[in-house]
Amino acid sequence: MTLQSNDDIFIDFPTTRDYLFFSPSLSKSVTTRKCYQELSHDATNSMIHLIKPAPVPINENGDNGRNAYANRQNSVLDENALRKDDTTFIRDQRIQTISQNYEVILESIGEDPSRQGLLKTPKRAAEALVFFTKGYEQSIRDVVSDAIFDEECENMVVVKGIDIYSLCEHHMVPFFGKVSVGYLPNKRVLGLSKVARIVEVFSRRLQVQERLTRQIAEAIAEAIQPRGVAVVIECIHMCMVMRGAEKVNSRTTTSAMLGVFREDPKSREEFLSLGRIAPFY
Amino acid sequence: MASQQSDDDTCFESPVNINRRFFSSSLSTSPKSMTAKRNHESSYDTVSPLLRQLKSTSLSVQENGENERSVHLRRRPSVLDEKALREADTQSVREQRISAITRSYEGILGSIGEDPSRQGLLKTPKRAAEALVFFTKGYEQTIRDVVSDAIFDEECENMVVVKEIDIYSLCEHHMVPFFGKVSVGYLPNKRVLGLSKIARIVEVFSRRLQVQERLTRQIAEAIAEAIEPRGVAVIVECLHMCMIMRGAEKVNSRTTTSAMLGVFREDPKTREEFLTLGRIKPF
Repeated sequence: MTLQSNDDIFIDFPTTRDYLFFSPSLSKSVTTRKCYQELSHDATNSMIHLIKPAPVPINENGDNGRNAYANRQNSVLDENALRKDDTTFIRDQRIQTISQNYEVILESIGEDPSRQGLLKTPKRAAEALVFFTKGYEQSIRDVVSDAIFDEECENMVVVKGIDIYSLCEHHMVPFFGKVSVGYLPNKRVLGLSKVARIVEVFSRRLQVQERLTRQIAEAIAEAIQPRGVAVVIECIHMCMVMRGAEKVNSRTTTSAMLGVFREDPKSREEFLSLGRIAPFY
Repeated sequence: MASQQSDDDTCFESPVNINRRFFSSSLSTSPKSMTAKRNHESSYDTVSPLLRQLKSTSLSVQENGENERSVHLRRRPSVLDEKALREADTQSVREQRISAITRSYEGILGSIGEDPSRQGLLKTPKRAAEALVFFTKGYEQTIRDVVSDAIFDEECENMVVVKEIDIYSLCEHHMVPFFGKVSVGYLPNKRVLGLSKIARIVEVFSRRLQVQERLTRQIAEAIAEAIEPRGVAVIVECLHMCMIMRGAEKVNSRTTTSAMLGVFREDPKTREEFLTLGRIKPF
């Protein structure tokens, strides 16, 4: 079980700094951030400090000592979706380019692209690949939208056994498995299908299992600011089963524990038993 | 449940196949195969029905077209001697292939909206290209090389079943993996095949761009040709990622195909015995 440390914020990829994470054009986000600021100011919500610092207002300009830290920790909710502005035309162009590349691939592996079974394969493979990476088309804030409800729920909420199918970013070969997500609400709960949608948006990308786990946990933490979030993912990696080490029965498990789940072993244990992933395949 | 193989499927061969020289005289220079063919000639009167179902090796090499059977025979090429698409690959040809596929993957990464220069994706095109070449390594071997001379004379009269062989293949329609298990059984006719050669035959056919039905048929025909048993049966049960990860998105469904040749096609009791012995447990 891997424990998430604060050090991982330093391993961010350089390109993510270019994302506008406090985008002033989104009026809704400015409002909600102000609300969070006021609500959480007095309450001891240690979750906030683990995810991102107390929000640095947009109007301050650089001299704040926290800016360096804030810049490294990007908001997961407002991260720019890479393919967000796709019109149908752009999408068709993408599929066209990928089809052409697949034709070259078919020739290069020695096959005959003009035989009956392979005639439309480049197009089908391109559309399949675009589908497998459709997580790039949505931002989390759109997915979560307004399915955040005020509830007097104090006990753990666990959504377990969510199937995920993702692509390994190192070999572009699928990996698949199950996710269990749990959180301890702090007066706010998230719509249950939104938990599954968050998982879906992050998994339908070129992913590394560790990053996937962390992103799911951070998205839920940001969206509802609970007392704690826990995520466990168990996957079979085709890149390890079909090639390379060729270990048929091995699975990879990663986890992310934030807030109460990191500090209190009993909460962690309760989550691990409630959200246990039964053997599959 | 068993899919009946009909002779009609010989008519569905793509035009490319017909051009392959499937009775290539150059490949039958090894003394053992020549001797084997002559043995068939001497036993022509008692040739097994299995052979009649597939082809008769002895006829076409000698006779020249007048036989009314040779039209039928020419439709079904020999599986053992089928040319391997990448057989003549030298090291430099292989590297050329990999760099062509690498460039294609770079284009693909850019087109899906990702940033190919980020740390995790820097070497991905090359890794993906090598992975794909590995997933299609079945094109590099002919079955005759795989089987080589692991054919032994044995007085074995009972069914031999090799079950639950793991296979990992690529769907030729979407280039997405499908994987599962294969069970192979045959009733020997004085000759048995080395057991690991069965698994190797399965491996060579599955590491290609495949359709599950064709994969099943090819495995059955290769074993039938190699040792000419009284019957061959193959069951393949697979999960198709193209159906689970996309499209219909049916998570729990599996596809089962089978090929029954010879005694297994004609005798229901034999078929039932194979289905019991070679049953693929849920995985």
